Amino acid sequence: MVSFKINGETVQARQGWTVLETARQHGVHIPTLCHHEAVEPSGACRLCVVEVVQGKWSKIVISCMYPVAEGIEILTDSPRVKNVRRWILEMLLAECPGSKEIRALAAEYGVSASRFAAHHPDEQCILCGLCVRVCKEVVGVSAISTIGRGVHKKIGSPYQGPAEACVACGSCVTVCPTGAMRARLDAVRGEPKVKLAHGAK
Amino acid sequence: MANENKIGVFLCECGRRVAPLVDLKALKDLVEADPAVDFVGCESFSCLAPGLEAIRKAVSEKGLDRLVVAGCEARLMLKKFEEQLAPVGLEQGQIDIVNLRGHVAAVHDLSPEEMAAKAAKLISASVAGLRALAPSPKEPVAFQGPVMILGGGIATYAAAQELIRRNIECILAVQSDEYQDELRMLHEHYPGERHYYGRMEDVMQEVDASPLVRRITVGELKSLTGRTGNFTVTFTSLEDRLPRVYHAGAVIACLDGQMLNQGTNFGHDGKTVICHTEAEEMIWTTGVPNGKIVFWINDHEAGHPEFAYLAARTAWSIGRYMREHSPLTRVTVMYNHQMAIPLSAGERKLGRELGITWVPYDGALRPTVQAGYLTYCDPIDHTEYEMPWDKLILSPRRSVGVEVTKMAQVLGLDTKEGQFLEHHRTKVRPEMQGREEAFMAGSARYPCDLHEALRQGRRAAQKTAEIVERANQGQLFAPRMVCVVDPAKCIGCGLCKEICDCGGIEPVEGPRANSPRHVDPMVCTGGGTCAAACPEHALTLQNNSTSQREARVAALAQRLGPQEVAAFGCAWGGLAAADNAGVKNLKYDPRLYLLRVGCIGQLDPSVMARAFLEGAPGLLLIGCPPEDCHHSYGLDHTWSRVNLIKKLLGLCGLDRRRIALAHADLNHPEQYIQACHSFIELIAKLGPIERDAQTLERLQGLYDTVNNARVRWVLGATLRRPWEEVYPGDQRHALAFDKDFMDVVSEEFIRVRLAQLLRGQGRPMVLGELSQALKEDEDKLVGRLGEMVSEGQVARIHKDRVAHYLMRS
Repeated sequence: MVSFKINGETVQARQGWTVLETARQHGVHIPTLCHHEAVEPSGACRLCVVEVVQGKWSKIVISCMYPVAEGIEILTDSPRVKNVRRWILEMLLAECPGSKEIRALAAEYGVSASRFAAHHPDEQCILCGLCVRVCKEVVGVSAISTIGRGVHKKIGSPYQGPAEACVACGSCVTVCPTGAMRARLDAVRGEPKVKLAHGAK
Repeated sequence: MANENKIGVFLCECGRRVAPLVDLKALKDLVEADPAVDFVGCESFSCLAPGLEAIRKAVSEKGLDRLVVAGCEARLMLKKFEEQLAPVGLEQGQIDIVNLRGHVAAVHDLSPEEMAAKAAKLISASVAGLRALAPSPKEPVAFQGPVMILGGGIATYAAAQELIRRNIECILAVQSDEYQDELRMLHEHYPGERHYYGRMEDVMQEVDASPLVRRITVGELKSLTGRTGNFTVTFTSLEDRLPRVYHAGAVIACLDGQMLNQGTNFGHDGKTVICHTEAEEMIWTTGVPNGKIVFWINDHEAGHPEFAYLAARTAWSIGRYMREHSPLTRVTVMYNHQMAIPLSAGERKLGRELGITWVPYDGALRPTVQAGYLTYCDPIDHTEYEMPWDKLILSPRRSVGVEVTKMAQVLGLDTKEGQFLEHHRTKVRPEMQGREEAFMAGSARYPCDLHEALRQGRRAAQKTAEIVERANQGQLFAPRMVCVVDPAKCIGCGLCKEICDCGGIEPVEGPRANSPRHVDPMVCTGGGTCAAACPEHALTLQNNSTSQREARVAALAQRLGPQEVAAFGCAWGGLAAADNAGVKNLKYDPRLYLLRVGCIGQLDPSVMARAFLEGAPGLLLIGCPPEDCHHSYGLDHTWSRVNLIKKLLGLCGLDRRRIALAHADLNHPEQYIQACHSFIELIAKLGPIERDAQTLERLQGLYDTVNNARVRWVLGATLRRPWEEVYPGDQRHALAFDKDFMDVVSEEFIRVRLAQLLRGQGRPMVLGELSQALKEDEDKLVGRLGEMVSEGQVARIHKDRVAHYLMRS
């Protein structure tokens, strides 16, 4: 067993658990977006940041992937953590101004406007990739993936048409933290259609 | 507590999402009060590492063998729990998840105590279902004999090559002794593949030389019996009348489609106007012809534009061969301007160098064949031109072929007239998908080129090899949630085979009637509508059985309030929509109690009847949108079953609307909520069902009627078959049939109630007494009693010249 402190309270954890898991076990709330219990963590949204204090110095880490260690001290709501979260929320607000979930979360941290320019006023997707991971790890079909890189990155199916592999189970819609997948599902699952000849373009 | 099995319940706090909304302490007390529950735990997050460790500890310490997790979506979380708890001995089927968060906490405006009360009812239902579980033993699938590759398609060699490279023995059942003959005739099925012949011959040589391969020359395929791991394959012999019998662990079918010539409407005469296969034969026998060769890709005009791509590739390939081998030949390809030229940049360049010209024509005007000319309309200047030819080569007509169709039928593949063998049955998760009933490769599956056929052959062999290798390591186990047949109950009526679309159900003794069926566990997808249809209850979906669902709905119905309704939601429609309503925090009426079911078609009518028998005032079934069933027509079958229950409710003197089938798209939770609201309001208006002796007697009659073999058989006849295109529109005499069905149902309704009454009383009774007890007219009873007497079920004794009836024991 490893013992360390979360917000001043000493907690016990087993080697291999993450800070987020241990914090939740002890009823400490840490906000998350891209984390879902059904899949492995990926650390995409960075919202679950916490401050790790070790001796005289401290650093900001993502709690969903940071393994527990003996003697560390975790602060989940320190001014520094809150500041980072506000920055993240401002960026998310600019990236997906269309999401009311993100707006509500931002309001919780007192963020109502973003200093970054929003290019797509109706966008809801935060590109956390949770839908992609669920499709792969839980459903086992990988019908959707992230397409493109950088500012061109988006979630979609191969060739952006209805995905042959999609079984229309809707797991992606259920896990989506913002409701963006709901609008995309119809394009992914498509209508049952006559299959074209093999290799047809 | 003296429970046979130990059931543990774990409640999740789920951070802010459950704990503050539901009074978990009260819920814990309510669940603990259920005598069937041995242990109740409460975890912050059952699904995270600390919670899972606590569950594992409790399971080991308390010896729990069934588990209910009251947390969130089973669709997402069940797999993780099964994986994480397998090491402590909880197999698939022994864990159930109640969506406390999405079906209770997030969607209702109730006080924490009321939330707890609702959750407790749902958990009790889940506990009752697990209690009724009869877990199946872990059954290894034995693998005996080599892999048989039959059908004679060219993919045989690719499959065999893959198998011998993996060191697996195989038998090739082919029609000719020498592989060279097959290479010579390859163009009959795959024209325009000359560039492939060298490689093909290498593959054939490698297969021919391998000691792992046994080549047999056989006649027609007569039968295929057995199941994965142990098949018996029978062929006719080419020499004598004795059948040839072989044993194989697995079967791969390599079936090539047939190429037919075009009709005279395209000017086909077999000499100057020919098809691809004839052109190839001509090259074999007389060499490449000189002069003007015109390929006309006429698939659009022949009604199959989907094959134009393949035909154009073939034309290109033959044309290229001609140009490369005969400088005096001029090659032109005419194609419908609606299609693109299917060539790569390199091929286009080569085509230009070889002087092969591609000429488009306006697809709106059909080109006309004349002697020596093909007239066509240019798509750019819309002027009619004539293309001169010495030989006109048309696309072939493609079909499955009579012999291949016959073979496919013997193999138990679904064959439809005029359609290729490939079809997509179920759209479920890969782990639910059984393997294909026979791994199939070749152009009979769907028209394809040689490369694709060989690729399919290799792929079929790879899949087979995976199974063989797992079996050899002793690691091949039958999936847990598949159908099993009780041979003692099965009468071999074949209904299950008819409605089963996954192809898992086979007669034990080959295709003839009255022999018990069995299920190939490696093929079954666990859809379960076949089990719900079985007239004799001989077919069960193991680890997820009808008796479990009955127990669940019974436990729920006993606890329902007068205005509360029970509901079943399928994992692909209603349940998913309810989950999504929970995610979105959409609020709705809390008087609906939703139970999880894999497919709405798993619901036996006895489950529906049981809900009413145990006191539910209404039952709502929420499936997928119409024509969207993921498990071959479970939804349509439910429609028929609901119809039966409606008839019987009418006979009981109850409102037919107390049962309803609804459709919900998972992406539109508001549809689900709308369906719930309408139904709850309706039931509130109708009020509860009076639980007086007469109603209870009739509800018992309802329950017995749906378990009656005759009613179930007639119901089975109405279920949608996989080959029915439209449903329920495909009724030739809808009204006449419905009347007959109603007659059968009302007859049996009277009979089961008479039997129940006479058995209960155990003494001779006169007609008047029976009539009074059942509150039915004497006229209605007397005919049924006569039948029961003549069938020997009831004895008629005369006392003082008055007929008395007594149940025979």
